[in-house]
Amino acid sequence: MRNPQRQTQKPRNPQRNIFSACSAGSALFVVIAVIAGCNRGGDGTASSAKPRVALVLKTLNSPFFNDMQRGAQAAASRLDVDLVVQAAEREIDVERQMQIIENLLQTNVKALCLTPSGSREVVPAVAKANRANIPVVIVDTRLDGKAAEEAGVKIVSFIGSDNYEGGRIAARFIVDATKGKANVAVLEGIPGHETGDSRLRGFRDGIKETPGIKIVASQPANWERDQGFNVFQNMLQAHPELDTLFACNDMMALGAVEAIRAAGKTGSIRVVGFDAVEDARKAIQEGTMLASVAQFPDEMGRLAVENAVHAIKGEPITADAKVRIELITKENVK
Amino acid sequence: MGLVGLCLLLWILTPHFLTVANALNVMEQTSINAIVAVGMTYVIISGGIDLSVGSLLALSGVVLAAALKAGWPAALAIAAGLGVGAATGLINGLVIAFGRLPPFIMTLGMMSVARGAALLATDGRPVSGFESGFRSIATGRVLGVPAPIVLTLAIYAIAHFVLSRTRFGRYAYGIGGNEEATRLSGVNVRFHKTMVYVVSGLTSAIAAVLLTARLNTAQPIAGIMYELDAIAAVVIGGTSLSGGDGHLGGTLIGALTMGVLRNGLNLLGVSSFLQQLVIGVVIIVAVLVDVMVKEKRA
Repeated sequence: MRNPQRQTQKPRNPQRNIFSACSAGSALFVVIAVIAGCNRGGDGTASSAKPRVALVLKTLNSPFFNDMQRGAQAAASRLDVDLVVQAAEREIDVERQMQIIENLLQTNVKALCLTPSGSREVVPAVAKANRANIPVVIVDTRLDGKAAEEAGVKIVSFIGSDNYEGGRIAARFIVDATKGKANVAVLEGIPGHETGDSRLRGFRDGIKETPGIKIVASQPANWERDQGFNVFQNMLQAHPELDTLFACNDMMALGAVEAIRAAGKTGSIRVVGFDAVEDARKAIQEGTMLASVAQFPDEMGRLAVENAVHAIKGEPITADAKVRIELITKENVK
Repeated sequence: MGLVGLCLLLWILTPHFLTVANALNVMEQTSINAIVAVGMTYVIISGGIDLSVGSLLALSGVVLAAALKAGWPAALAIAAGLGVGAATGLINGLVIAFGRLPPFIMTLGMMSVARGAALLATDGRPVSGFESGFRSIATGRVLGVPAPIVLTLAIYAIAHFVLSRTRFGRYAYGIGGNEEATRLSGVNVRFHKTMVYVVSGLTSAIAAVLLTARLNTAQPIAGIMYELDAIAAVVIGGTSLSGGDGHLGGTLIGALTMGVLRNGLNLLGVSSFLQQLVIGVVIIVAVLVDVMVKEKRA
């Protein structure tokens, strides 16, 4: 056996090239870092005439957040502020949401409105906004109380619906509609999300006093339509006795509606969703869904921008603004 | 060159881009993808692919978080997290090298296995709230430079040395360039191939430490699609997907290019949908230019 090292095929790139390119790359990294270290805090750009408000959403491909954006935009043009709306590609991508916030803090935004992708994960980003003295308005999903307290972060206002109460409303409706006897499946949101957890808690508390209502299956489908389909299809396999579904949002409910259709069980399973998005309203009209708890995301968007403007001007703000909720059924759907 | 052009363009387009705070910001944000891409560069140079990096990151992260929550000292908990990453990488490598499973298949499977394990271990819930000592890995500063940047540079320096100056590094190129010839020349191809995946598991775990400290949370659903970001950084950096050719400096530039692009598009207030489109186009154009330049030289 000859010396293996001499026999080994050499890299096609000459060694010198690799080295120089590599050092060029690191050098660039170092140079930027050093320049950065020398003159920190040099953002001396003049602010434009209109104050800039950032609205960072969980996602832009959900009707709920589209409505919120619309409400915010309407308020922004009325109050003459420059609104920047951004969101991560995927709703669960907290790291990306944090990056977006960090990036927007570099521009001269005067206030930040935020729907947290994760109640705890986004706390460090809010801390950064605090340090930059930019008022933060949290919308829809609360920050985790403990995490926020530990990090010492401050927000000027929270705007959202009472999700716990929404869960109770759905529960009461199911109790009435089934005359107190039902085998219920529950589709949960992403575990650990304050919004979904509150709805779930409200729902469970709402049926507690009616022993005839049994939760036979409860699984997360992560807020998504396709997962709602799959998870509910599996539930139907495992529990043919199911006659009622409560989904913590409409996307999962609508996915389940398709699963029910595929199983040929349309009409025999009551579906109650949450959010009353447009597709869900259509489904209620068609009768494939029974009801949905309506939130008013456009109102949340409006209040968020209004409160942000109050904060910029140093005017008093409601620290905790509850947006109304309402049960939508065939009687009041439009 | 592309990166410099991009920076110039953004400098002209927005006054917020070329500030100190923003430069640090971009590099800090890039660090996680850049570190994952180190292992990916090794794997791709050796002619393989590792689709499991994002899931390994999540698994290492939750193990690290569980150890911290159990009251382990930070150093020991980090060692546990890195150990899990390296061990999972070892399984990848062993099955690929000795079981002769295509890397694509093995790591695709591992992507699901590691994700499932992370979800099982945490019951799907994020684990959060760590001591500031541990968090300083992400929040601290060394001589005014954020710690993640220093860590990234250190890893690149070491990984570059190993890749260009050690036998292991040369063999990685050899295996990717012509595996049969490398084997015939007496190199223990299986061993070195396995080690390449251990490196990838290890760098994913290092990224997990950083991400966990940064978000003050370990999520079982962290790192989804990170494999694609890492592969993109590697190929933008001029490493050939067919193996045997490439270098880490390019990967660092590739990762920075993606970071700068995302940052710039945020600063400009470009719609999130358009951002995805632009990033895709940049990946295609970057590799296209690279291929044309190489052909001209040849």
